[in-house]
Amino acid sequence: MLAVRNTLWSSVVLVLLALAPSHGLADTPLHERIDRAIAAAQPDFARRAAPLASDAEFLRRIYLDLTGTLPPSNEARAFLNDRTPNKRTALMDRLLASPEHARYLAAVFDVMLMERLPDKQVPRGEWLEYLRSSMAANKPWDVLAREILSSDGVDPKTRPAAKFVLDRDAEPNVLTRDISRLFLGTNLQCCQCHDHPRIDDYKQAHYYGLFAFLNRTSLLVDPTLKKAVLSEKADGEATYQSVFDPAKTTKSTGPRLPDGPPLKEPAVEKGKEYVVAPTPKTRAVPRFSRRALLGPTLARADNEAFKRNIANRLWALMMGRGLVHPLDLDHSANPPSHPELLKLLADDMAARKFDLRGFLRELALSLTYQRSSEQKESRESQRLEATYIVALLKPLTPEQLAASLMQATGLTDAERQALGKNVTEAALYARLSPHVAPFVNTFGSGAGKTQEFDARLEQALFLANGPTVRGWLTPRAGNLIDRLSRLTNADAVADELYLSAFTRLPDAEERKEIADFLSQRQKDRTAALQDMAWALLASAEFRFNH
Amino acid sequence: MLCSYSCGSSDHTLSRRGFLGGALGFGALVLDPMMRPAFARELQQQQKRVLMIWLNGGSSQLETWDPKPGTDTGGPFQTIATSAPGVHISELLPYTAKQMHRLALVRGLNTAEDDHGKGSVIMHTGRRQEPAMKWPHLGSVCAKLLGDRDNPLPGYIHITPRGNGGVNSEDAAFLGPRYASVSLSDGHAPANLDRPTNLSTNDDQRRHELRIHADRRFLRSRRTAMTEAYTQSYEQAEQLMRKRDLFALDKEPPAVVDRYGRHDFGRHCLMARRLLEGGATFVKVSHSNYDTHHENFDFHIEQVGEFDRPFATLVEDLHERGLLSSTLILVASEFGRTPKINRNYGRDHWSRAWSVALGGCGIKGGSVSGKTNANGTVVADGQVHGGHLFHTYLKALGFDSKKNFYIDQRPIPIADPKASPIAEVLA
Repeated sequence: MLAVRNTLWSSVVLVLLALAPSHGLADTPLHERIDRAIAAAQPDFARRAAPLASDAEFLRRIYLDLTGTLPPSNEARAFLNDRTPNKRTALMDRLLASPEHARYLAAVFDVMLMERLPDKQVPRGEWLEYLRSSMAANKPWDVLAREILSSDGVDPKTRPAAKFVLDRDAEPNVLTRDISRLFLGTNLQCCQCHDHPRIDDYKQAHYYGLFAFLNRTSLLVDPTLKKAVLSEKADGEATYQSVFDPAKTTKSTGPRLPDGPPLKEPAVEKGKEYVVAPTPKTRAVPRFSRRALLGPTLARADNEAFKRNIANRLWALMMGRGLVHPLDLDHSANPPSHPELLKLLADDMAARKFDLRGFLRELALSLTYQRSSEQKESRESQRLEATYIVALLKPLTPEQLAASLMQATGLTDAERQALGKNVTEAALYARLSPHVAPFVNTFGSGAGKTQEFDARLEQALFLANGPTVRGWLTPRAGNLIDRLSRLTNADAVADELYLSAFTRLPDAEERKEIADFLSQRQKDRTAALQDMAWALLASAEFRFNH
Repeated sequence: MLCSYSCGSSDHTLSRRGFLGGALGFGALVLDPMMRPAFARELQQQQKRVLMIWLNGGSSQLETWDPKPGTDTGGPFQTIATSAPGVHISELLPYTAKQMHRLALVRGLNTAEDDHGKGSVIMHTGRRQEPAMKWPHLGSVCAKLLGDRDNPLPGYIHITPRGNGGVNSEDAAFLGPRYASVSLSDGHAPANLDRPTNLSTNDDQRRHELRIHADRRFLRSRRTAMTEAYTQSYEQAEQLMRKRDLFALDKEPPAVVDRYGRHDFGRHCLMARRLLEGGATFVKVSHSNYDTHHENFDFHIEQVGEFDRPFATLVEDLHERGLLSSTLILVASEFGRTPKINRNYGRDHWSRAWSVALGGCGIKGGSVSGKTNANGTVVADGQVHGGHLFHTYLKALGFDSKKNFYIDQRPIPIADPKASPIAEVLA
């Protein structure tokens, strides 16, 4: 009954919002402006939009999106029983402030920036810790981006930030491609050899403008540090020819952002070009460094592409699809599904000084985020992805899948119990994180590639027959099977099982199914509990964030 | 791929699926009327596949496909006549010589790359290594173009002498991990193919029923292409588990095992035959190790001797089973070996003038393209590189090798646009 009332109430709110006049926008919180923009883009919005998600649906979603895992069953139970009116906001504020959130967001940014490339120069642990502490301090994105693009790897304090550049061997073409994709949302790769043949906005001059910040830089193993660091020459121009140009005209550009003004370079007196002159064994340091200017030039509030990119990526993280899609093809022939909304988000991002946590909070507060993923119309009849009138299914990332399985099977609870009074987020992470690698290997998209969903045979075999999940379903003090085996009542078993795996209570049909299954297998009850738990963990409801 | 599906971009690949359904892969929720069972069966009969033998380390062209006896570079071995008139190969290949009318040689190969890793990239992808671009392996390209999504076997199977089995997602580059190679270490079955020992078939079935019930309820209002793909992956797994016997060489009569040879490469060739027969699209078998900087001739007696009979047996068996005309065969390496014999009686890395062998589907049996000079130090005629080979493979399989893949709306030529197929060896 409560659920029904909730639904009706939310429909009313949605309609009112859609019809509300858009006065005083400047004072209106971002989340309301998001909802208005989404509603305004859909003529029959009020009729077609999905209602507000149930508490259970919201709980599962917000946990996965902000912490990358599921809530323990007792927390799920408590939240569902909580009658406080603002409990959703209270929960998201608690999660956003949690160490688990900082850890999770660091992992998200690691995958986004390093794309699962194998470790080369900076150990991943140091890089993750750098990101984690940055997220815990809610370091603004522009600051973080400048640190990543500027560190030369010499000072141990800032060396982890240099992983982005060092682990790409400081190769200027690789860096130009990845900086354009990951920091600016524009994949300029084609423009290494010519203007983009199909995207008018992407020019070869853009590529080499970025390239010019980087082509004087190279990797050098410092003999005293015994580590690879960045060395930079004081000369070397970015010149290029188009392979389409029969005349083979050579062009040249100084460092500049795509469509940005040419950078003013100071005149350096001849013979005084270097602070440290290059030798085969010493790191060259020029008096004027082009690379040092990249971060400050690129990561700025007045760089449209920089703020659009991060706004779009965080939107995609929470909503399941970028307003610009794919995330690195922002150009005029591939406009955002909601152009004004993206502009609004990008400007807001800059106005709030790239406060990632505050921005994520606004997204989570929106009714667009909190809408149900259950849909009234059949998916075939309508392309719904880009409308946001129904919440999209998001396949769990390999890391989310690993963490969710550990939580649902109770491995997490058992480890927490084993740590006893020494339990901290870091201690628990140290115990659980070694289990993630097989999931990344089996479910990941491979190094250097954007995360894509692809359900493959070996993944099904891993879940169905592999020793990992099966091992976690072995009874152990405090884990799921242990808890279930102490419950004699079939309904109680069903409740605990569904809360652990699906973050919701079972309905009557589901309770009956569990009871029937148990009654048929009274002789091997533990095995029956394992099989039931497996069936839920292997189901689509578990595999997707919905 | 989620991306291609949800952005609705036209992914005009040459995939059979794309051709059939008018939409790519699991994006095609609505069955095209063309996809009638009879039509699908007809296509299945035309199904083409590829066998790639990889001679790891760089086999010597002079001790295999392009011998130069009696010259300063020739070494101790003689040539023998083959079943292809006028074609002579090394005497180390007596069994293969009898299959030569089904094989073709490319003797004008100059890949200009003497590094193992980079040579391997050229021979697997038809491109030179580039810093900011990774190209997919031929196996991944074939898995994408020839493969059938309903086939439970991985599209690109690599039988390795040892090492870890598993997926090598790097191989597929931008095509995505679905088309990556799956290594079968020492020819063993893929990981986790066996049901856990303490789970009975009956209990396994019951837990799957429970899973399917849960899915049915959830998907009533949330069905998408992604959820379909996910639930189908369990069906695929189930089907492959039923094909478990494909990986069991002990099902072969001892006489057959003997014909292939009771050693690793023999068993791996036999496994390749079982897999190709069982519907695999692309099977690569690696044979190690030909990197003979020392004692090149002794090593080649051993290595080529081990290669010869199983390979010839496999060609013969594919022919007998009526599979040869639809199976492209290629025998390749990172590079060849120096004509100059070094002081350790070895030959070093050499990519300027060497050979590969082709056969089967789309290949003109008994043909030879290109030639080297009298002592094999340069290509005298018909010089080609890795790009030409890649075009040739695609053309032999019936594809227009000048076409593009479309990734995120970006046209990417399947084969190096500056090269073209080698007409002399094509049927």
